[in-house]
Amino acid sequence: MGIDIGKFLKNPEFEILITTFRDIFQVEALERDRFGEEYKKLSAIIIMSKNDLEKMGFKSGDHVKLANNYGSVVVEVKESKKNEPGGVGFMVNSPWSNALISGETDGKGIPEFKHIMVRISLSKEEITPIADIIQLTKKSQALF
Amino acid sequence: MFTCTGCALLCDDIEATVENNRIKETRNACRRGAARMKGCTNRLVSSIAQQPMDIESSIKKAAELLRNAKSPMVFGLDNSTSEAQAKGIQLARKINAIIDDTSSFCQGLLIEKILQKKLRTCFLDDIRNKADVLVYWGSDAQDSQPRHLSRFSYFPRGESRQRGYEEDRLAIAIDVRESNTAKICKGHFYRIPPRGDREFILALMEALSGKAPAYDTKNMLGLASILKKAEFGAIFVGIGLTYSIKNDFELLTGLADMLPKFNIMPMVGHYNMRGFNEALFKETGFVNRVKFEGKGVHDNKYAIIETLKNKSIDALVVVGSDPVLSLPSSVSSHLASIPVVCIDPCQTFTSRIATVTIPSAASGVESAGSAVRMDGKIIGLKKIIENNYLSDEEIIKRLMEAV
Repeated sequence: MGIDIGKFLKNPEFEILITTFRDIFQVEALERDRFGEEYKKLSAIIIMSKNDLEKMGFKSGDHVKLANNYGSVVVEVKESKKNEPGGVGFMVNSPWSNALISGETDGKGIPEFKHIMVRISLSKEEITPIADIIQLTKKSQALF
Repeated sequence: MFTCTGCALLCDDIEATVENNRIKETRNACRRGAARMKGCTNRLVSSIAQQPMDIESSIKKAAELLRNAKSPMVFGLDNSTSEAQAKGIQLARKINAIIDDTSSFCQGLLIEKILQKKLRTCFLDDIRNKADVLVYWGSDAQDSQPRHLSRFSYFPRGESRQRGYEEDRLAIAIDVRESNTAKICKGHFYRIPPRGDREFILALMEALSGKAPAYDTKNMLGLASILKKAEFGAIFVGIGLTYSIKNDFELLTGLADMLPKFNIMPMVGHYNMRGFNEALFKETGFVNRVKFEGKGVHDNKYAIIETLKNKSIDALVVVGSDPVLSLPSSVSSHLASIPVVCIDPCQTFTSRIATVTIPSAASGVESAGSAVRMDGKIIGLKKIIENNYLSDEEIIKRLMEAV
């Protein structure tokens, strides 16, 4: 039986800038049931250009870990259907993107919702459940 | 005809059929609006410490928590009627609370400039009837205010624009991504890099003043030429632009000064965010981030994000908002360590960590009132369904009496 060396190797990490956007289908799911699977499915994704996917060795449907000093989440990667030049990943505004945002605002009160630098790497983990993101739910964990 | 509370367009041409005391079908509403009007799967129930409780006890407990707080905050109200907002401001005044809303990290600064008359604006009806050049800047109306283009801006055959989008109107998108709105603006989509708005505005201003800017010279001169020829223009400012230029609104006012035929329209999400901003502005001279100490005092340290980060509040009343969902998780942890009172028609992430929850009627469906559209026009909200849920207004009134 051979040894799976792959499991001892850390997946390569890349840096990518994320900007957030709104998606009417995700907002509809939010209105209906923000705790539901549909909202999670439409929220926990990062959309990337074909160029970036090829460069980083990802394909649509892969799970990727996004991490920075403020948090870490696992989401699904999707190839953009549009002709994006690359260099920027797009996430719909949700708790999954909010997990990666700094609270620093230079005292101005507006976080950088649309300018998030992260490290991205392939992941075998499940999509991060909402309860894990909202860590402050310690006092009511069972309810999630 | 009913009014939709899905976004700040407040579409008042909605038809609805009711079955088993819920809205079964809607006509004319967009995807978001229909979902809002049909209501959520998980209604909020009255509770104390996450245990079901009668509503009177919940209100009494909420009042006790506020009485015992040294630095309470009232937050939200953007999804409440103007009547409830007035009561919310009254409550904040009575208990010397900080009051803030989602405009604090959304379009508040832009709306403040408009209310201060530092930016020229108009009604959406003027745009429908007269506008010939439309600029969607950092704004994907198709996904955020889905009937904007069809009811007010691009597609209608307005009084002076009978040939509609085919001949009489031109739509431009300036954005970091090819949004669904940008797709409609065929041939007039200007892609900018993230945070590239400042450079784009400066280059456009150069082009408008007859110089050849170094940045994307050909496109800038072309765009300047289109804008100069406009008879009645509108710039729809989305949060993409607002976030990018941050507090540097002089840039936008500078550009607006060079485009005297253009009006600025804030693209607002929550249906009555502008109503909240107008009400607080009228009372204190500020649109958000106010602490009542007799009179209303404004400071950026009263922005919800700063109060959570600095742990400077010791109780929070949230009305029709979900800060646990919408704020960075890195700052919202303070909410777990203070008493939170959540007033909402639906269960939210915030309600799941709240000390007291009070279910409210969904405004525009289960309670009536009025609201302020994104352009400042007052729109009436009707009650469609009869049930026992109390309106936000009534809940806040009772809370104020008990506090």
